[in-house]
Amino acid sequence: MTARAGLPDWLVIARREFLERIRTPWFAIVTLLGPVLMLATILVPALLGRAVDNSAHVQIVDHTVGERVGPVLAAQLAQAKWKVEVVAPDLDEGELLARIRRDAIDGFVVVPADALAPGGAAVAYQGANAANDLAMRTLYQAVAQTILGLRAADAGIPADKLATVLAPVGFAPRHTTGEAGGASGMAALVVGYAAMFILYIAIILYAVNVLRSVVQEKTNRVVEIMVAAAKPNALMLGKILGVGAVGLIQIVIWVLMALLTMRFRGEILGGFGVAAGAWNVPALRAVDVAVVLVYFILGYFFYAAIYAAIGAMVSSEQEAQQAQTPVAMLLVIPVLCVQLVAGHPRGGAAQGLTMVPFSSPVLMPMRWLLGGATVGELLTSIAILVVSTLIVARLAARIYRVGILMYGKRPSVRELWRWLRY
Amino acid sequence: MTSLAVDVVGVSKRFGNHSAVDQLSFAVPTGVIYGVLGPNGAGKSTTLRMMNDIIAPDTGTIQLLGRFKPGREAAARVGFLPEERGLYPKMRVSEMIAFMGELRGLTGRDAKARAGAWLERLGLSQWHRNKVADLSKGMQQKVQFAAALIHEPELVILDEPWSGLDPINADVLREIVHEQRDRGATVLFSTHLMEQAEKICEHVCIIARGRKVLDGRLADVKRAAAAEGRIALDFATVDDRGRAEPVVTDPALVRGPVRADATVAPTAIELDLADGVEAQRLLVALVGAGVGLRRFEQVTPSLHDIFVERVGRAAAEVAERREEVA
Repeated sequence: MTARAGLPDWLVIARREFLERIRTPWFAIVTLLGPVLMLATILVPALLGRAVDNSAHVQIVDHTVGERVGPVLAAQLAQAKWKVEVVAPDLDEGELLARIRRDAIDGFVVVPADALAPGGAAVAYQGANAANDLAMRTLYQAVAQTILGLRAADAGIPADKLATVLAPVGFAPRHTTGEAGGASGMAALVVGYAAMFILYIAIILYAVNVLRSVVQEKTNRVVEIMVAAAKPNALMLGKILGVGAVGLIQIVIWVLMALLTMRFRGEILGGFGVAAGAWNVPALRAVDVAVVLVYFILGYFFYAAIYAAIGAMVSSEQEAQQAQTPVAMLLVIPVLCVQLVAGHPRGGAAQGLTMVPFSSPVLMPMRWLLGGATVGELLTSIAILVVSTLIVARLAARIYRVGILMYGKRPSVRELWRWLRY
Repeated sequence: MTSLAVDVVGVSKRFGNHSAVDQLSFAVPTGVIYGVLGPNGAGKSTTLRMMNDIIAPDTGTIQLLGRFKPGREAAARVGFLPEERGLYPKMRVSEMIAFMGELRGLTGRDAKARAGAWLERLGLSQWHRNKVADLSKGMQQKVQFAAALIHEPELVILDEPWSGLDPINADVLREIVHEQRDRGATVLFSTHLMEQAEKICEHVCIIARGRKVLDGRLADVKRAAAAEGRIALDFATVDDRGRAEPVVTDPALVRGPVRADATVAPTAIELDLADGVEAQRLLVALVGAGVGLRRFEQVTPSLHDIFVERVGRAAAEVAERREEVA
């Protein structure tokens, strides 16, 4: 007769879960889709930016004495390929608005009588394209050049001297928290965002996968023969590890692809005939990649344990959908708060959000990449997350143990409390 | 070491206000085929689940194979087929069986070899690379037997193994049960199907409402029931039947009503002797009343009759009606 000679249960179960997922075409598709999306995020805006025509058809109402602003502004805008007419200053605003409605024009500029005087009223613009950042920047520059030029002429400054004075001033922000050779602020932010999104998507994808897998075992009753052969703890641990291993492989592939995409951004864009612009990709160190992976593993364990417990509480996928919403919110809230961390990586909100275990897996890597966290803060955050994960996993295991054998009605809060104390 | 495969002592289990198992004790000798019989809701599944450490008893003890408490220690030596059976639909058939073997402590290589042998034995060899979902329901049932038995457990526990089986697989299962017993294993199963139990059990334990009603070797149980005195009579003529009436309705001799089916056999009846009354006394009384007899026989009741007698007709009918639905 046999005595126990083989592998421990949790490992046998983890291997089964791992192989079942890694063999599906679904895995290959999602793994490849990630990089494709990443390429799309850099290519699409660049290609769109090139293709879209920001020019517009505007009319100018000039209230200044002698109507000096209108023609100069019209000439400035015409250089930017805008279609411009100067209309009579007494033209009714209602008529101009009607023209916008009829789509005869995109908008109109109203130059107030005291526009040239220092501290005069603002030059107003109303138009359907007022939300278009690039178009408004063009318009603002034209207005500024016009007004400044006319003021200079009034002050007796010759046109050629003015050109020298108004020549573009270079300005290049660099993100750094003390180290030399900081990356461009934009690039650092993009890397931070990429880390956050990869973590958010991977954690929710695989934690929900654990939930669904628990529910499916309940609905097709295979859980009965499983609990007869293995302890519920081994079942839950094996499932979380097996699914997590698939997730880890996927996220490693994604991170590698993201790094390659950023490294060869210029070449890729060049291949599509788009200039890459002045970009300085931040130097990602091994420790940065490690931080992302550590937070994926811990964050995944934290949420997967919660989702496993939810799966054990419900009897159908529909019920699971409802029951998981509050937990999904816990993961969505940090994503909504991303601006607090991105904008002020060293601020109080960022510190708080990157310590709380619900949000730290998603936000701390970003804060770290933006240089907002010290090594001490990083280690504290990891320690908090490890301890909370252990606590959550213990509680989840208790709920799981009782819940997987329950069918039919969902437990009340009181019953859950009893399960926890079994 | 004792020679008991399972020793259940004073086990109780309550779910809320409902007492599922109440002070239940029974002993299963090693190497027998043992049936735990009872109507639905009697506490059979709860008892079997406690033997497999799926739930813990509130009070009482369960010892397996003379030395183990239910759980980890025993897992490699016990096989269990639960009442609710499922398989992983996306797994390959051979991998599914080997997987269960590995969970019961086999090495990967050993589990793989045995899974192949079981598929051969069950005539499913050509399906081994298919997914479980590709199999018919009947084939999946066979895979479930193999998954529960691949590690050659010393103790085989089957919960309602015949429910939902087609007649062919019911025969396959009966063969498997005998094979397991022949290789030295103890087979314990629960059922509410008395016909199956009667064909295969050596020992039985009947439980109802969580309590033991009776247990022992099937032959002894039947003999005891026979000794309690069921008599089948066939009168020579219908007139003899009439002459016998005062005797067979005499409460000093006969307990309960006389059973008869006049449309099928107008001269035949069945009755139960009153407590302490020898069959001889009834025969003497009938002969004394001048009744002509064609047959006077002490009947060995079927397990079904015993079950009905001891558990109550209503409960037995509920049990059987459920099976028709299933």
